Amino acid sequence: MGDVKLAFVVQKPQYKGETSRLAITHAIAYQTVEILLEDGDTVTPTLCFVGEGVLGLQKGQKAMDLYEVTSTETHLKNCLLVDLDVLVCKEDLAKYGISEDMMPDAEDMGADKKIKVAPFSEIQKAMEDAKHILFF
Amino acid sequence: MATLTVGCFPGLIGNMSYDFVVKLAGAAVNKGHKVNIWFAGNAAGSVKAHQKHLKDYSTGEKHLKALIEKGVEICTCEACTVARGIQKPEGIEKIQWNAMHWYLAKIHASDRVLQIGGE
Amino acid sequence: MKLAVFVSDFKLTYDTLDRLKADKLGIIFVANGVYHATTKENGEASSLLNKTLNLYALSEDIQTRGMKDADVDKRVRVVNYSDVVDLIFNEYDKLAWI
Repeated sequence: MGDVKLAFVVQKPQYKGETSRLAITHAIAYQTVEILLEDGDTVTPTLCFVGEGVLGLQKGQKAMDLYEVTSTETHLKNCLLVDLDVLVCKEDLAKYGISEDMMPDAEDMGADKKIKVAPFSEIQKAMEDAKHILFF
Repeated sequence: MATLTVGCFPGLIGNMSYDFVVKLAGAAVNKGHKVNIWFAGNAAGSVKAHQKHLKDYSTGEKHLKALIEKGVEICTCEACTVARGIQKPEGIEKIQWNAMHWYLAKIHASDRVLQIGGE
Repeated sequence: MKLAVFVSDFKLTYDTLDRLKADKLGIIFVANGVYHATTKENGEASSLLNKTLNLYALSEDIQTRGMKDADVDKRVRVVNYSDVVDLIFNEYDKLAWI
């Protein structure tokens, strides 16, 4: 069956609900899915943040210090470390006044991959290219 | 026959999206389709055995057992489940426990996927 | 793509749904989403009913809320779970629950 592309679309803000975090951790699980698949089969998620989902992406999160839970920032850095494509909706960032430099990278962990700020049309394209869409 | 995989994240109690999943799975399997269900988030709390069906609350156990008897594969996220204080010996028989890659693997082989996020 | 969107809430914003494009878009009203199909607000039907011609509402969830299939806007087809399964496999190739 080869590669199956998936679009993970996060549309809810982080922290109040668990869903937005689970979207990220489920996407990261693409790294280990091959142990359950036939040789040559892979799953490739693209993790997309739209609407209020973009609110939880700012760097400097103190969730571990204050609530002893892994921050979304850390999860995002792990995404970049495992080379996951992360798209963040440009229009929604602008709507909420979040600039690109307010979002984290994972250079300190050795990751070259960066979060990509993309127009909604590019996220729509990712959904069209995917075999399945998963809204979180 | 086609394959439907449903990701269910809402909890059993306090949310009827879970009931939707159970009903949809039943309807699909009754029409001859293969169905997989993945529980994560609060839905993972629903795999504990010996649920008492009080009529003010949705119930899962009897429906899940019936679905399993019909060939539906059901798996719970182990991390989500143990985080809620439920250990495997306390779980409903024949429900699988695995990591998130189980869901992705089932998705890989599915014709349709319905992901229902938590509320 | 042929996309079926399950709408399960009544009073939420649908930024994403407003922007989604599909060659064939279906909206399946379930849970509290069925109010879009049955209820007018200040005399106005839900704007979601103008989004596509392919509108469905789950009979079980309409009746659960004390309404009848006859209360449903004429543009919306009332379906049961078995019909939803057929929609999923025969009419659409991707699904979204928002």
